[in-house]
Amino acid sequence: MVEMKESNSERQPKNGRFASIHSPYATANIRILGILVILVVIFSIIAPGFISFISLQSILVSTALFLLLALGETLVIISGGIDLSIGSMLALSGMVSGVMMSHYYHTGSGVGIAVLGLGIALATGLLGGILNGIVIANLRLNPLIVTLGTMGIFEGVAELISNGLPVSNFPPSLFSLGNGGFGLPWLLWFTIAAVLFYGLLLAKTRFGRYIYAYGASKDAVVRAGVNTKRHTTWLYGLAGLAAGLAGYLSTAHFETASPVAGSQYLLIAVAAAVIGGTTLQGGEGTIWGTVIGALIISVLENGFVIVGMASFWQLVAVGVMVIVAVYFNEIQRRSRLAAVGRRQRQ
Amino acid sequence: MDSGEVFRMESVTKSYGGIRALDNISVTFGEGLTAIIGDNGAGKSTFMKILSGVTIPDHGTFLLHGHPIHITSPVEARKLGIESLYQDLALADTLNVYANMFLGRELVKRIVGLPFLDERHMAQLASETLDQVRINIPSVHTMVRNLSGGQRQAVALARAIHFKASVLLLDEPTAALGPKETDSFNRIIMNLVDEGKTVIMVTHNIPQMMEMASRVVVMRAGTIVAEMSPKDTTQEEIMAFMVGSYKTVKSPQNFQKGGD
Repeated sequence: MVEMKESNSERQPKNGRFASIHSPYATANIRILGILVILVVIFSIIAPGFISFISLQSILVSTALFLLLALGETLVIISGGIDLSIGSMLALSGMVSGVMMSHYYHTGSGVGIAVLGLGIALATGLLGGILNGIVIANLRLNPLIVTLGTMGIFEGVAELISNGLPVSNFPPSLFSLGNGGFGLPWLLWFTIAAVLFYGLLLAKTRFGRYIYAYGASKDAVVRAGVNTKRHTTWLYGLAGLAAGLAGYLSTAHFETASPVAGSQYLLIAVAAAVIGGTTLQGGEGTIWGTVIGALIISVLENGFVIVGMASFWQLVAVGVMVIVAVYFNEIQRRSRLAAVGRRQRQ
Repeated sequence: MDSGEVFRMESVTKSYGGIRALDNISVTFGEGLTAIIGDNGAGKSTFMKILSGVTIPDHGTFLLHGHPIHITSPVEARKLGIESLYQDLALADTLNVYANMFLGRELVKRIVGLPFLDERHMAQLASETLDQVRINIPSVHTMVRNLSGGQRQAVALARAIHFKASVLLLDEPTAALGPKETDSFNRIIMNLVDEGKTVIMVTHNIPQMMEMASRVVVMRAGTIVAEMSPKDTTQEEIMAFMVGSYKTVKSPQNFQKGGD
């Protein structure tokens, strides 16, 4: 049947030289990296033009926006929660900063205004996320319901401040930020910075450790003396912050701020996390897994286009992968429970 | 057997509504294992909750190593060196052994001024603590959910030991363990006792306590009805105190064995 890979880790030496060797996620991450490589190989055999610098770069750029959402979502899901509002948060922060930039921009390159716009988008995302966190932590409500509510609220506010219409008239420096680059497109530099920030925060800090612990056992964290209300508030704040950055970059990339931007990203952001090994029960997952999960989704989308299939097949393929990932996860969980049970009876 | 006074509580009373859960209890704990024995409703749980800071008594004073202390919360109790082993263990399943031992008290190292977890140091210290009390766990990098019940218990215990607890509170620690695991858990407890820890254990297993404990405290109806060394008593006598056959008992001092 299904063999238990995790049990191998028990036999590892006590003082390994590399901390990553001890990561319980190493096997799982290598496995999904393998899936990614296989997909790339298949597509490049079918369509020889698939592996080209331009094609790979366009895959990365199309990954960037929903990957940013997925970073924050990964943290929230590992803590045992969920944030449905990040798609609307992308739209709202893009819109708030877009309205401001188009209002104040008149002539010139407008670098100052573009930078101010970034600050406003980040602040909007952070504040909206903190609002989610405060309601969830202090009123002790289910995050699914709270963020379902704020999903509507954020999108509604975005529609209100723009009268439901897209906003443009931005400084040229914003366009060069959204579509130009320095070696790599700026979009990717921002995304790489965000991946490093969220990745290190989750894997290497106390804050990250409490995210895992909270997802595994709320009681354990409370009894360890951690201020869980403050932790939850910042956690959702960080999910909002990533969405704020995504909103700004979306405005810069598409040269327009739309009140319905990002609505299609929520599901694929969650899918990227789940395909990447984050479990909805909480306590498990990595940023690196989410990055690979997001790349798998983008490769599918671009690959289908290149081989001449309708890109809608990507939706079907992603849906199937999510269900397979959850199923695989469940099988592992059951075999683990059985193994612990067997040992218990000995 | 007991060498000196470690922890003393005086005139501790706790009522819930009209019910006196603890009625003016005074007791002293020295080094070694003290077993708290009593029937359901005797006040054992309330007693342990007060010691661990979960419940605040109506009256009473506490002395630790001769100094008056106030136990106002579990976190406060822990700071004073009083560690509890909860029945559900309060472990995070998806974290490894040392991450659980250091949960809430992680060691950090500064890299370019930012505090990052010092994983290697924590792993090493955790490993040393486990070796020190001879707890056998394959690796401190093992996720806690892959451990057996007894090993999980040992991790929770190692957490308490590592942070230099001088008083350990155990509430029916082996209730959910099989015979083999109970044995190895008890061996660890005896190692701790040898190291001079004060261990206070609520238990129903009287035969086991006759072997392990240096002192047995019997509770009934919110009071202490007997305190004695297992050497000077029998299981039958303990049972008699538990169920109240020695109805005339008022002060435990009168019933220290040899005084009747």
